[in-house]
Amino acid sequence: MHVVADSFSTQINLLTPLISGIANGAAYGLLGLGLVLLYKSNRIFNFAQGEFATVAAIVAYVFDRGTGWVPKVPYFLAILIGIVAAVLIAVATERLVIRPLFHRPRVVLVVATVGVALFLIGVEGLLPYPQTASLRTISDALNVQSYVGRVDGVVVLDQDVAKLIALAVLALGAFLFFRYTATGTAILAVSQDTTAARVVGISVERISMTTWAIAGLLGGVAGVLLAVPPAGSVTPGSITGLTLTVAFSAAVLGGMTSLPGAFVGGLLIGVIEAFANADNGFVPGLNSLPTAQAEVAVAVVLLVILLVRPRGLLGQEA
Amino acid sequence: MTTQTQLLRFDPQAARRRASVTGWLVRAVFLLPVLALVLWVPHHSDDWTNDAVFAAIYAMVGLSMNVLVGYTGQISLGQQAFLGLGALTAANVVHTGYNAPDPFTFALGMVAAVGVAAGAALLLGAIALRIRGLYLALVTLVFGSVTADAVFTISSLNGHDAGVSAYRPTAFQSDYGYYLFALAMVAVCVYVDVCVRRSKVGRGLIALRDNELVASAFGINVLGYKLLGFVLSGAMAGLAGGVFAFWSQEFSDKDFTAAAGFNKALIFVVMVVVGGLGNRTGVIAAAAFFALVDPLLAGLAHHTGWLSFYTDHKQYISNLIGAGLLLQTVIFNPGGLGQVLRPFTRWFAGHPLSFHDEHGDAAAAALAGGSNVRA
Repeated sequence: MHVVADSFSTQINLLTPLISGIANGAAYGLLGLGLVLLYKSNRIFNFAQGEFATVAAIVAYVFDRGTGWVPKVPYFLAILIGIVAAVLIAVATERLVIRPLFHRPRVVLVVATVGVALFLIGVEGLLPYPQTASLRTISDALNVQSYVGRVDGVVVLDQDVAKLIALAVLALGAFLFFRYTATGTAILAVSQDTTAARVVGISVERISMTTWAIAGLLGGVAGVLLAVPPAGSVTPGSITGLTLTVAFSAAVLGGMTSLPGAFVGGLLIGVIEAFANADNGFVPGLNSLPTAQAEVAVAVVLLVILLVRPRGLLGQEA
Repeated sequence: MTTQTQLLRFDPQAARRRASVTGWLVRAVFLLPVLALVLWVPHHSDDWTNDAVFAAIYAMVGLSMNVLVGYTGQISLGQQAFLGLGALTAANVVHTGYNAPDPFTFALGMVAAVGVAAGAALLLGAIALRIRGLYLALVTLVFGSVTADAVFTISSLNGHDAGVSAYRPTAFQSDYGYYLFALAMVAVCVYVDVCVRRSKVGRGLIALRDNELVASAFGINVLGYKLLGFVLSGAMAGLAGGVFAFWSQEFSDKDFTAAAGFNKALIFVVMVVVGGLGNRTGVIAAAAFFALVDPLLAGLAHHTGWLSFYTDHKQYISNLIGAGLLLQTVIFNPGGLGQVLRPFTRWFAGHPLSFHDEHGDAAAAALAGGSNVRA
């Protein structure tokens, strides 16, 4: 009797962090996809990716509520407008900031994306909207039950399933795009040798803009899925502050050059975090903040992967 | 010989020409307002002393970023963590209850602050700098949030969440006296920077910033030199942290939370770029600007009746200013503030005032596209 009861409780303890970890991991993967895309194509770390997501969330929120001169539109149209806004911001970033710096050292480009992130946080902060609000969840908008079901008593939210599906679809889609389409191949060619790509007739400018537009799209999708209760909100800079760091670790774990890697890395990091946090007092003295153990775990994973296998789990030289 | 040098538009005689006695006197007169701004104005009121100490601390952090970004071409997004580690170490070393420490303990605290920050930099750099590319940016980003949430919150190190007091020694009891000490520490950082830049180490660092492969072909130990640059940078930030701890007279983890720290880290990157990579004067000027922009704007907002709007949106406004200056600098003016100030700094150093500087700035030239480093 005792043995059965014990194993039962152990099972629940393992399942809870697993499910919450996968849910968080989907968020890291979604942001990570955009990071991987830009690393793969431009060899830079885009620190503005989190703000592309926030812009989408804010615009979607404003159109969903319809405040001031902004008309109230149906939820899914608002989401779409938000994602389009993120794409436009990303394209503007490419045209105004990245393209003039195209031939500079990579460190300058990375610093410039930091500047774009700061700039967007500043603009978002000065916009007149309630800055601690969250977007409605998909199930709220459809007026359906907010969870698909329970697994052994652990609630599985609709929104988390939506995140996971979006992540899987986008990761697979982006992977196929690079593998099988002419534009995808052209993006890789430009990343490897700009001059040679130009010689064979690829428009480097057009490719660069396409790449950033896709990055904006990925960021926008991440934003409208992440800025919902209970965890997220559309506070300026919150996605950059809370999720971007871990998303980078996820992308490195999966391999900075692999789009499926962002999927795998994101879920793995999410689960690692959740298990590291499952027993809050595991490391004595570290329990003053609820997330401390998770952060240490992520940092250790990042350092170990960089030391042992710098190209990540699925990464390759390309 | 003469014709040849004229052809090259470079006149060694002119380059070596220094000012006459009258020239030096004129320069001394023009130096007076600068000195008044640095030494006399902070003496005038407590608020201004406070702002001036922050400017000095920012200047130290700026110089530490300058070694890293300007000379090794890497970026750190976790410099605030070294600052915090320095403050934490200094406060815990000198923590003597309610008494001011004796000068020896105070010095020990400062040295320990530098040592711990340098040690942390050594550990991090040894891992992150092995990999080609800009992975140091990621590792330091994660390091920043981990130290804020997992190290600074350890209750035995932060005085059980109440802060660890770090009283100043009696010699620097007055605010202005301590400000002079902070200035001296800035001078130490400048001196270290000058020594590095003029030595074999500095030339090696710049060589590998411009082209790692060529530098290693010339026998430069790439990892060793990068690591040395990173450790120096961490040590300077640690020193700034020590100065900060004794200024606020305590270490509190509330000054170094992850969210505030991330924003600080971005501002630190901004100020070194806006100042001009590798340019000491420019970096110090930009650091002072970013330390003073908040009190200056608050004063302006107070007089124009926008104070409540300003205090509500303070962080966003300073973000916008920082981002605007950063983007303006990288796109249009890669030499940064240092390049703009260069004719004047050269003039103060005894050269003739000239806005056509044939030597240019090596760092600016490299950033403008001379280098083809692939990350």
